[in-house]
Amino acid sequence: MPRPAALSSLAALLTGPDGRPVPVERVVLTAAQRSLLCPCDGASPMVFVPDPDVLAALVRGATAGVVVTAEAGLAGDDGAGPPPGGAVALVARTDVGEGHRRVLEAFAAGTAAVQHTVDVLRAEAAVIDALNSVGRRLTAQLDLDRVVQDATDAATTAVGAAFGAFFYNLVDQFGESYTLYTLSGAPREAFERFPMPRNTAVFAPTFDGEGTVRSPDITVDPRFGRNAPYHGMPEGHLPVRSYLAVPVISPTSGEVLGGFFFGHPEPGRFTDRHEYLAEGIAGYSAIALDNSRLFERERNLARELSRSMLPEAPPVAGLEIVTRYLPAATGSKIGGDWFDVIPLPGDATAFVIGDVVGHGVTAATVMGQARTAVRCYAVLGLPPSRVLHQTSAVLSAFTASTFVTCFYAVHSADGTLRYANAGHLPALLRHVDGTLTEFGEALGQPLGVGASFPERTIRFGIGDELLLYTDGLVESRTRDLTVGMGWLRSAVAALPRPVTAELCDGLVAELTGGAHDDDVALIHVRNTGRGVA
Amino acid sequence: MTEPDRGPFGNEPSGSVRLHEVPGGVVLVVTGPLDLSLAPRLRREVLRAVRLRPATLVIDLSASTFLASVGMAELVRAHRTAGAGVTVRIVAAGPLLLRPLELTRLTDELEIRSTLHDALAEA
Repeated sequence: MPRPAALSSLAALLTGPDGRPVPVERVVLTAAQRSLLCPCDGASPMVFVPDPDVLAALVRGATAGVVVTAEAGLAGDDGAGPPPGGAVALVARTDVGEGHRRVLEAFAAGTAAVQHTVDVLRAEAAVIDALNSVGRRLTAQLDLDRVVQDATDAATTAVGAAFGAFFYNLVDQFGESYTLYTLSGAPREAFERFPMPRNTAVFAPTFDGEGTVRSPDITVDPRFGRNAPYHGMPEGHLPVRSYLAVPVISPTSGEVLGGFFFGHPEPGRFTDRHEYLAEGIAGYSAIALDNSRLFERERNLARELSRSMLPEAPPVAGLEIVTRYLPAATGSKIGGDWFDVIPLPGDATAFVIGDVVGHGVTAATVMGQARTAVRCYAVLGLPPSRVLHQTSAVLSAFTASTFVTCFYAVHSADGTLRYANAGHLPALLRHVDGTLTEFGEALGQPLGVGASFPERTIRFGIGDELLLYTDGLVESRTRDLTVGMGWLRSAVAALPRPVTAELCDGLVAELTGGAHDDDVALIHVRNTGRGVA
Repeated sequence: MTEPDRGPFGNEPSGSVRLHEVPGGVVLVVTGPLDLSLAPRLRREVLRAVRLRPATLVIDLSASTFLASVGMAELVRAHRTAGAGVTVRIVAAGPLLLRPLELTRLTDELEIRSTLHDALAEA
């Protein structure tokens, strides 16, 4: 709260050579004008005496003055004070003595400790602000490449380094670890000719995760230059005197994920505060790297789980079977689709395609349960409607809200398909003459929802082809189901024979524009009639 | 077709679910695609709506652009868990929304109306 009248007390400091108060005028200063008058670098004092010549240049006819900044929180009798960020100059235009200067100098000396504390607190707040904003940004990302580049740029700026690098370790699909790096403040070519840093005396504490290394001049550090072949920096390396390196350690596993390295060509550039900032950013980077690794792992887990539960279609005499399962390209929706091909007694074969609502590990798990249940009831020789009825009952018992669509069809040696459909998309039959029949549409509710699943029969003769598929093939947020199903019919009608795995992949690519954001599973069966007694 | 940025996890919903209390019931207005990212929000809002013990709970999909199976699962859940005394109605028109409901025969079970007015008229 500005204190009224405080400005007039300060104005009274301006006295003539005779010690008597002189007329004082208030001049409001903008932030820019104020910074012209401030005799200091960085944080300005709240009240100061400006250089009379500079003041006179700004306020015509001024002989002396006292500048009161907005931070001082002082106001005049009328309650008016400096604008935010600006100041008020109390200006005299007559001959003025040195009284005001002496008083304010004495005041400044007396409050120097307070001013210092304020400066320190302000700097701390700036550090916390910087850390907080970098932390928020880093930990809200999952894309590894963006995390590391953003972290490197933020850290290099925060510590005032000429350049910075972030070396981080990754493990490839064969379990071999390898190291990548990002740079900030230096082009990639500046480092390309050099090998990766090794565990030398200088680098070891960082790569081993022992702690921060800070040196005002690394070239005179006892650890420096002890290793062949370079004994110091390789020829052509960017000049480094000031050196700061911070390990990045996983908060979950304790593993060293990498390290930040900062350099400056002048000695003594890095302070306690820089070290603190670098360590803070390293901490956030570790969390961000952990997040992106865990996310990747979850995604791979769902993918692996789905894949491991999907069968290889067994060879069946008289049928050419192609099956495809393509996990969602965008990752987060993997896990719900399945297919199955089940040989049944009496030369019959069951074809199953299904889709579990949801995604990730949960959907993959429910998919495993659904697939197992269907398989068990199928090999018992139950008719399609009973297989789906029993499976639906089993799934409803597991969880209250299962929603699984499933098309179940049994091919018998007599050239028929008996089928039931639990809320799944219709199947396609391409006859030997090239005409198409779409069948099984809207026969029943999904498993976990419905209880009765009517059964139908359709002719599946020699030369006929059957296609079962999941909705990822025909539907997306940007493509209407009805339109997608129309495209599919046209595409299937145009497929050359015989239909191979490559042709099926081509069909998926054509229909999804190469970027399916949902799982796609399909079974294509051609009745060759060969090998059947 | 480019998708808007959907957050670091790629699952920030691009639509919304808003709850409105009206005479005789509660209306949940769904905008944008009712997909994997928006379905959990619909579930939360349904729970909130049911706590208000409305005579009629209307889930208005008129402004929705896509009904994924995960969205249909939520409609069934709402219908089956709303409890005695709460009539759940769905407002949906056009093949974009009706086709998936027909293919899964949820049309047998859910009370579907073509306008919000119709859905509330019988309240």
